[in-house]
Amino acid sequence: MAVVRLERVFLEYPVYHGSSRSLKKALLAASTQGNLARDALDRVNVRALNNIDLELRNGDRLALIGPNGAGKTTLLKVLAGIYEPTQGCVVTSGRVSALLDAQVGLNPDATGRENIILRGMYMDIHPREMVKHADEVAAFTELGQYLDMPVRTYSAGMMIRLAFAISTCVPPEILLMDEWLAAGDAHFLAKAHRRMEAFVQASNILVLASHSIPLVQEWCNRAIFLQQGYVAASGDINEVIAAYRRTLQMGASAA
Amino acid sequence: MPSATSSDTNDFRGLAGTSRPSRTVQATTDLITGLGKIWLWAELAKQDTRLRYRGSLLGPFWLTISTIVMIGSMGFLYAKLFHTDVSSYLPFLTLGLIVWQFVASLINEGCGTFTAVSSILQQVRLPYSVHVYRLVFRNLLVLAHNFVIVPFILFMFHVTPNWGVVWILPALLVLCLNGVWVSILFGMLSARFRDVPPIVASFVQVVFFVTPVFWSPDALGAWKSLGELNPIFAAIDVVRAPLLGLHTAPYSWSVLLLVTLLGCSGSFAIFARLRYRIPFWA
Repeated sequence: MAVVRLERVFLEYPVYHGSSRSLKKALLAASTQGNLARDALDRVNVRALNNIDLELRNGDRLALIGPNGAGKTTLLKVLAGIYEPTQGCVVTSGRVSALLDAQVGLNPDATGRENIILRGMYMDIHPREMVKHADEVAAFTELGQYLDMPVRTYSAGMMIRLAFAISTCVPPEILLMDEWLAAGDAHFLAKAHRRMEAFVQASNILVLASHSIPLVQEWCNRAIFLQQGYVAASGDINEVIAAYRRTLQMGASAA
Repeated sequence: MPSATSSDTNDFRGLAGTSRPSRTVQATTDLITGLGKIWLWAELAKQDTRLRYRGSLLGPFWLTISTIVMIGSMGFLYAKLFHTDVSSYLPFLTLGLIVWQFVASLINEGCGTFTAVSSILQQVRLPYSVHVYRLVFRNLLVLAHNFVIVPFILFMFHVTPNWGVVWILPALLVLCLNGVWVSILFGMLSARFRDVPPIVASFVQVVFFVTPVFWSPDALGAWKSLGELNPIFAAIDVVRAPLLGLHTAPYSWSVLLLVTLLGCSGSFAIFARLRYRIPFWA
């Protein structure tokens, strides 16, 4: 049975930019006084997630909504086990598949066919196993002879087709999705939509981060409205969307 | 389902929680489960080597050719400069250069252990050690391609290896172990501080000239042990000496093992302490 549980999860991380990247500056800073060090190190701490509680069981389809920078992708990454929370507890049980980025694991110099195997490996699927899915994936992409060309010759849309087909070839128990399909053409989107339908039916838990209210209304039964890393509202999808809209209107009238 | 692996459950408990595994346990688990994914990192390493030379006639054997050219040009010139016999110098140089290239590229590429795969780190949950093993194994493959020269050179110059040759296997294993700690330590340092890779690169260049790679520590006369205590020399010596039918220098194994021990423990301490920061740095 698939379970996702988060208890009082906090995530803070330092953002490095400019001189905080420099070893020389760090060493110099260490040798000078404390307050100087802070300036010289140029380090900013970001609290990306703030006290998140969440419990998901079989059949839950959760939407993460909120403005840019609210922590939606960060939360997905915590659920995927990529980021370790600074505080709190994350428990997931079930095979997790995270579709966070279309391009990941695609090697531009390898052919489409080789990339099917390669990306499968990153998804923890052994090449021997992945070979069995290769034909089905190839058929779905409709890339034909392009599959024997290096991926760097592909257009963005072709790359997304390939990545999507590979990522969805084995239905996971917990599916985490960031919205990245939109770059595909209409024919592909319709096809992806049909495949997603079957996929979401087979998957036990879905977490979908999206700005598209119609999309999440169609796919999800629960929602979390994130704002600056806090849970601003959570519960039934329609109630949360209503809360989200109210905030948007308040923001619009204030501006 | 193809993957009933440890990634099926994912359990992080907060610092305040009682049952979150300690950082040491997490780091150890990372290193062990990573090692278990040999099918993954071995395949990725093979693919790295294949793709680097895709479309070229000789494939990875271009590496072999470039090593031969280097040995050929350096061998005759330096034999003259050092007033030594080509037939004893060339085998010495060949092995020295081949092992040096392995060590140097582990150090240089080690700086990119995590930054080179940052998009993977950001998107896929894998033990971090997978990237480390991939890098070490890739360099081992390069070493293997270069090593095909060795039997020819030894045969050409009538060098007979002694029974000490059996020590090459443990020696290579120890070198790989050093590759692991080097790529973890330098990989983390370079991800955090972006000026580390150029510093390391210029340092490695200097080390090449001050290490007895293409000259023998004997040439130092009274300062001979200074050359022999150099850990990079030790790393080369444990492979080179037995193949040349010589005894390894007196301290080579002790120096190498000491460096391995210190490096592994230091690197592990840092890995355990700051492992969770890696995806934010890279």
